[in-house]
Formats: sequence, C-alpha cells, structure tokens
Amino acid sequence: MNKRYVMVHDENKCIGCQACNVACRTENDVPDGVARLQVRVEGPFGEMPNLHYSYARISCQQCEDAACIKVCPTGAAYRNDDGIITINKDKCVGCQYCVAACTYKVRFMNPVTRVADKCNFCTDTRLKRGEQPACVTVCPTNALVFGDANDASSEVAQIIATRATYRDKVHLGAEPRVYRIPAKKGGIAS
Amino acid sequence: MIKLDRRAFLKGAGASGAACAFSGGLPGSIAAMGAEPLKGSATAVNSMCEMCSTRCPISARVVDGKTVFIEGNKAAKSFGGKVCARGGAGHSLLYDPQRIVKPLKRVGERGEGKWQEISWEQAYAEIAEKMQQIKQQHGAESVVFSSKSGSEHGYVFDLAKAYGSPNTFTHFSLCPGAYGVAAQVMFGTKVKRDLGNSKYIINFGHNLYEGINMSETRGLMKAQMEKSAKLVVFDPRFSVVASKADEWYPVKPGSDIAIALALNHVLIADNLYDKAFVERYVAGFEQFAAQMRDYTPEWAASLTDVSAKDIRRIAHELAKAAPHAVVDFGHRNTFTPEEFELRRAIYAANVLIGNFERKGGIYAGKKAKTYNKFAGADVAPSLAKPGVKIPSPTAERIDTYDKQFSLVASMGGVYQSILDTFETGKPYPIHGWIMARTNPMQTMTDRARIEKVLKGLDLVVACDLYISETAAYADYMLPESTYLERDEEIADKSGKNPAYYVRQQVVEVIGDTKPAWQIFRELGIKLGYQDYYPWDDIHTLQLAQVHKDYALLKRIKTEGYVSFGKPLMLREPKMVADFTAEFATAIAADDDGSYGSHLKFKTPSGKIELYSDTVEALVAGRGNIVFRDVTLKQPDELYFIQGKVAVHTNGATHNVPMLANLMSDNAVWIHPKTAAARGIADGDKIRLTSSAGSEEGKALVTKGIRPDTVFAYMGFGSKNRELTRATGKGIHCGNLLPHQTAPISGMCVHTTGVKLEKA
Ligand code: SF4
Ligand code: SF4
Ligand code: SF4
Repeated sequence: MNKRYVMVHDENKCIGCQACNVACRTENDVPDGVARLQVRVEGPFGEMPNLHYSYARISCQQCEDAACIKVCPTGAAYRNDDGIITINKDKCVGCQYCVAACTYKVRFMNPVTRVADKCNFCTDTRLKRGEQPACVTVCPTNALVFGDANDASSEVAQIIATRATYRDKVHLGAEPRVYRIPAKKGGIAS
Repeated sequence: MIKLDRRAFLKGAGASGAACAFSGGLPGSIAAMGAEPLKGSATAVNSMCEMCSTRCPISARVVDGKTVFIEGNKAAKSFGGKVCARGGAGHSLLYDPQRIVKPLKRVGERGEGKWQEISWEQAYAEIAEKMQQIKQQHGAESVVFSSKSGSEHGYVFDLAKAYGSPNTFTHFSLCPGAYGVAAQVMFGTKVKRDLGNSKYIINFGHNLYEGINMSETRGLMKAQMEKSAKLVVFDPRFSVVASKADEWYPVKPGSDIAIALALNHVLIADNLYDKAFVERYVAGFEQFAAQMRDYTPEWAASLTDVSAKDIRRIAHELAKAAPHAVVDFGHRNTFTPEEFELRRAIYAANVLIGNFERKGGIYAGKKAKTYNKFAGADVAPSLAKPGVKIPSPTAERIDTYDKQFSLVASMGGVYQSILDTFETGKPYPIHGWIMARTNPMQTMTDRARIEKVLKGLDLVVACDLYISETAAYADYMLPESTYLERDEEIADKSGKNPAYYVRQQVVEVIGDTKPAWQIFRELGIKLGYQDYYPWDDIHTLQLAQVHKDYALLKRIKTEGYVSFGKPLMLREPKMVADFTAEFATAIAADDDGSYGSHLKFKTPSGKIELYSDTVEALVAGRGNIVFRDVTLKQPDELYFIQGKVAVHTNGATHNVPMLANLMSDNAVWIHPKTAAARGIADGDKIRLTSSAGSEEGKALVTKGIRPDTVFAYMGFGSKNRELTRATGKGIHCGNLLPHQTAPISGMCVHTTGVKLEKA
C-alpha cells in the first residue's frame, strides 16, 4: 500500500453549512434518514462575549487500525489497495457487527440496500472517475482537502506538516485518517 | 444553528417519515401524476442555480436517470466551482412528489386546500376572461402584479404593462431594498463590496456564513484567510459570522445606526478621513459633518451596549486600513423604521475612508458599455434588449400615492403597500393580484392581514413550484418548471469586468409544467397582446440578445459563464496599469495612475451626496443623515429578531425533502437567564406574542443571544395544509412582525417586541 489517503477538515474555515452533507447524499445515493457525513455545529461554549462553536465532521475516519474490518465475519468490510476502507455489498450479510464495533459510531445500515454503509472517500463514485470526493468539490469555503499524505508534494501532506492538526479520540488507538484544524475564538487563522 | 445531534445522525432529522397522507392525494402533484425516470444529458450541462437569489453558475449532470449531481461551474472564478446545501439539493425539489406539475383551479374557499386539475388552455381562458372583466369594471390598474426579481419578473411585468397596470412589485422592500435606495441617493448607482481584497471589515449582522451568497461568502473567507483581514461583527446574536470574527459585539437590537454614526463622528473629529477624496468627489460634507458632531462614541455607548473606547478604537483601525477596508452595508440585521438612515450612515463611513473603486472597498459594476468605453475597443459584447417597447401605463402607482416612496417605486416598489391600498382604497381600490414565485405570506409582515387581502380580492393567480404559503390562497395555480427543466435568457453577471451566463435545461420537463416566459407570453396572447410577443421561443430571444452572433451564443452556452477583459477598479493604479497595458486603445491614466478623473456620479450634484436635496424635498428633515430614536418594543417585552440559515432560502425551500430533512423547525434562541426567569428549559414548548400575532414553538436555550432578545430563523411555521413537510413546524416570523413601512426606503420592519412564556 503506497497510498495513504487522508481528509483534512479545517474547522477554522468550516461554516457548518451542510453543502458537503447534501453533495455526499446525492453522489453516493444515501437515502433519507441516514448519512455518511454530517458537520455538527455545537455550542456555543465559553462566556459572552468570548464564545465559540465547534464544527465537527462526523464521518468514517478511515482508521489504519479498523475495528470494523476486524469484526466483519465475511470480509465485506475490507481495505482497498489504496488503503481506503470500503464495503463489498455482495459479501455483507447484514449482521451489524461493524456498526457496533466502529470506534466512531459512523457506520449504519442502509435502509435501501440493507447492507452496512459509510463514507468511503467516494471510492466507487468520484474517485473512480478521477475526481475529488463530492464533499470536497462543493465545500464553499474550501474547508476540506483530500489527497495522498504519502506524496510529500500533496496539499494534505503540506497541511499536516505545517499546521496544528488533531484527530478525534486518538487515545483509542484506531489511528484515524481524518485530520482536523481546530476552530478557535478570534477570527480565521491561515 | 442547525442542530444535528447523534440521534439525528442515525435517524435523519425527522421529516422523511412525515411524507404524509396528503402527498398521495394532492391533485396536480408529481405523486398524483406519477413521474418517469429522469431524462437528461449524460454530460454535465452548465447552467444557473435558482435555489436562492444569488444564482450561482452551476454544472449539473444526470446520474443513472435517478438524480442530478450539481456542483459549481469552475469557470466562474469568484464562485470557485462551489454550491451550498440548497444548491446541491436542486434535484430533491425537482423530483419532490409534492411539487405541482399540472395547472390547478381552486374549488373550495380560498385557502381551504381544495383543488382541481385543469388544462393550461382552460386556465389561460378563465384568467384572461376575469382580467378583462376587472379591467372593464375597475380599470387595469386595480390588478397588482408581483414577482421575485430575476428571470421571471420581466415577463410578469411586461404582461402588467401590456394590460395597463403600473403596479408591479418585487421582493425589494421586504429585505434587500434599503441599501439599494440609499446607494441610489448617495452614489446614483448600486454599489458592490470587494470583500475578498479587504484588510478590515466591519459587519453589521450581514450573515454571509449562513445566508450564503457564494461569491461574497468566499470573498469574506478569502479576506480572512489570505489577507489576514480583521473582521468586526456587531450582531445581537452569536451567528456563524460572529463566531469567525476577531471581535464580536452583541449590540442592542436596532442600535447599529448609533455605532455607524459614531464611526463617522470619530473619522471626522479625529481627522482620520480622506480629505482629498471628500473634496474631489463629495457634496454636502459640511451639513453632514455638522450633524455628526453630536454622535460621539460616548453617546453611542449608552444606546448600543458597546463601549466608547471600542468604537473609537475600531474607527481608528478602520482608517488605518483604508482604503482597503470596508464597512459592509448589507443585508439583514435588525430592520427598524430607520433603515434608510442606517444604510446611508454605513455608506458614509465608506465614503470618508475613500474606499470607492479601491481594492477591498466598494465599487460600481462595470457592464460592457462602460468597460468598452475605457478600453476604447469592443472588448466585451453587449446584450440587446429584444422585444417590442410596450407603452407605460398612465395610472399612478399605489405606492407613490405617498410621494416619499417615489425612489423605491422605480426600483421594485413598496410591496406591502398592497395591504394599505386594499384597506384604504387609496388612490383606488384593488381587485386582483397576479404573482410569480413570490411568497409574501412568509417574506412580508403581518400574515393575518395578507390573508385578509387575498380573501377579499376578485382574482388571485399564483405561478409557483409548490402550493406555497401564499399560493394556497390563489384561484389558479400555474406550475412553473424548475430551473433544471428550463432555458432562459442570457443574464448579465458583470462585476469588475463584464460577464454573462445562462440558465439551460438539464433534464426533460416532468409533468405538465412550463417556464415562466412561456406562461406569461401565452397568457398575454390570450389577452390579445400578441403584438408584444414577436418571438416564439427562448432561443429566438437569446439569439436576438447576442445580436445574432451564433458563435458567442454557443460559447456562452458551452462554457456556461464567460467573462471578458480584466478586473478594473477605477481608482486602483495597479489595476488601471494592467488594464492600459492590455488594451492599446485604452483611455490614458491620470497623472496619479488612476482613472479618478473619469469618476462620475449620476446624482443631481454629480458627486457622492452625503446630504440629499432630493430626499429633503420628499420629506423635510430627511436630507441629512440624522439619528432618530425608535421604539421597537415595550419595556416588558423582548426584542424579536430573525435571520437566515445556510440550508434554506426565505419562504421557498422549506418543503424540499432533502432540506426539510436537514432542518424542518426553527427553535427560538433564548438566553439562559431569560429562560430561567420564565421557567423555560431547552426544548420546552414556548409561546411568543407580539402586537401582530402569536406563535408556538420550541425553546433553544443558548448563550449565543442577548438576554433582552429572542431570535428565530425565518421561513418556517407555514400554515397552509399543502406544504406538508413545513406546515406547523416552528414559528412563523411573518405572523409576529407588525406591518409598518420605513420612511423613504419603503422597507418593511423585521424587529419587534414580543412576550415570551412557557406554553
Ligand atoms: S461544506 Fe465545508 S463549510 Fe460547509 S459544513 Fe461541509 S465542511 Fe463545513
Ligand atoms: S468522501 Fe465521499 S463518501 Fe465520504 S463524506 Fe465525502 S462525499 Fe461522502
Ligand atoms: S448560494 Fe447556493 S442556493 Fe444560492 S445560488 Fe448559490 S448554490 Fe444556489
């Protein structure tokens, strides 16, 4: 595996507008009632006038050490050659072990296909056509950047090298591949 | 804030399950008619969004006959190839089972929800007959016409003219109008903001990160990211813009004007203003300066809850960043009866820092004619206005019955004057209302009064996509094709340089709908005005627009968005140098490297007017920019303010399935102290009561609002039965806001007092 696809979500630039959520639904045919992606705006935290919101991307974290793959009895949850974790619909028996095991609770049963579903970095839709993921394409403020972190010249590699980023719940050891640039009170930091 | 909790993530935010009993039976709907799989082009079609009024250039592609994937057209640089959630959800509107795709005739009482499918032929014939009857009995002027501005209003207003009614209205006075009127008075033209190049931005609640206007939203983010611009926000609510600001002041609702005036005071008193600019381009400075003398930061502090020290410092910082700085003059914050003065006070601060036609400041749009004059060559083609000149009706407009609104009358009219005229019968009674894609019951104030008007007219016709809150009271509902199903005229999108784009059909029409140009043309012909419609279809029109230049038309259609020349701001030496280098025939720059000597203002004085004789003549005492205290609420009430959310547009998108799923309710923002005093907990049912009406909703207890204020996103709480995903969900702002018209600007008022109690 020589590729290491990652997503950077700049929470500092994110405005919580859900354009990404809508684009993802459309491109990946995600039915009503479930979602591969949401950006959850929470808060405000702090005391007036020093308040702030958090803008959190809730989606598959593409763990390097993925619980969903480990528990899947049929091999339906698997990792592509390029490292992206996706689902083989034909092999999924709907046992929901992966839904229960997911460290980030972002797997769900697709009510239409009746198999497990989640963000797969648009691997079988946009990526296949050589395009950027749907959410990245539409994001009004360019808060999302996607690419191969193993390629030192890629934008994601440069962001990870130069910006203060964090990942969600790293203490759980899943090694997520969604990087976040924290939003903080006091304007946008470039 | 769009509240998405963990449960909602798994379940979806509700509304999908509620695709309800009604939808199967609603006559004329896709559900009733059935719909074929989508047929459309396999490759992407460049077009124009219509999910809000920004009209972003888009690129849309049909996927597997099932859906349409919409993204931005990358050729339009300032839009960056982006769409917002609304823009991305266009297919959800297109294919909504509740969308109306067959003409309907009302069979019950107005608003009762009983409809019958009819043919277009029958609809035209009956409407035309009724219109002729009204014209004979009461005169053509007794029928009013209203439309959302943009692609439809031309066709609707042409019909009005042909019929003989001067009474045409757009959304103007209900939201964006005041800064338009103020700009017209001061600069003689509309002005734009160059946010993307700004280094210092003062924002009075212009909620660009929620009420998304793609190119401006991106401009603001670009300024913050790339120019390290400082953003100062005055807003009673902790909006998303406030959350991204360097400084946020929870200003007292309606008092923004005091801050704007105090900024002007400091700029003059501390000698921070651009004297050379003022001397050269400004009229009325003396009167203005004399008036500003009393408006000290200390005076403003007592009204606004912002400290004098901060106001003074901000004025100094603004002046330091000048001219690459801007005081944002738009859009919705707390609308008070002093809207006109607020916008003028904001423009005045921009004038004082000399940011006109400077990077990061404000500027006038440059259409082909102006641009070519500077270039000394035909750099950009100009569009022709095809068609026949229809004589203007002679009757007086209902809104100029009060002369002070004569400025607004020519810009979009005082929409809510329909309510006054209906009641007073002055200057004459009205009998009919024909409207297209406008939803005053959500976007105007005093819903109850609008209902009364609609119930009392002889004829009400609505052209829309859904049976909107307002269309529910129509006699005839004419279903328009969605923007993904229709071609339109080429539109001018010129900014710093000329640009054009066009809306193009992406999918075959579903059901029996028609584009507005066709509907109003066919109705016009039925009425006997065929001479005014010498064209058969939109393609003939487009071709006439481009002076039969086939190649140009093809280019605009293929690329979707075509921009000509180089960006030009007349007082920006670097841009002028680039411009003159590019075009050998260009007018030579002045000694200072700018085109400053060519700056003319279409005002009576030919200068920017800080004092206006025109306005003084309309209402004595209003020529100068003056502070007037207004009572927005009673002592025992809270301020009620409203605003936009990123996933909905005014009164138009709340029934779109995908967007309703994201947000179907508008919980009322209440400060914890205010809530506690009334025993209200987060999520409790509450009741708001104002002088206009009473609404029941849910409490959102949050620190992000002043204790003396409550806030709700607008457009929710519809009351007619047909919008089943939106009806009865959340509070209806228009039912709380009283009908009141602001002087000169003709704006309706969006701020009022409410009593809050646990329901
Ligand atoms: S589209 Fe971009 S800005 Fe909007 S919510 Fe998604 S990540 Fe945030
Ligand atoms: S990468 Fe693709 S699947 Fe994942 S959230 Fe973005 S749009 Fe959805
Ligand atoms: S801002 Fe969104 S809804 Fe409005 S025109 Fe642009 S993409 Fe469409």
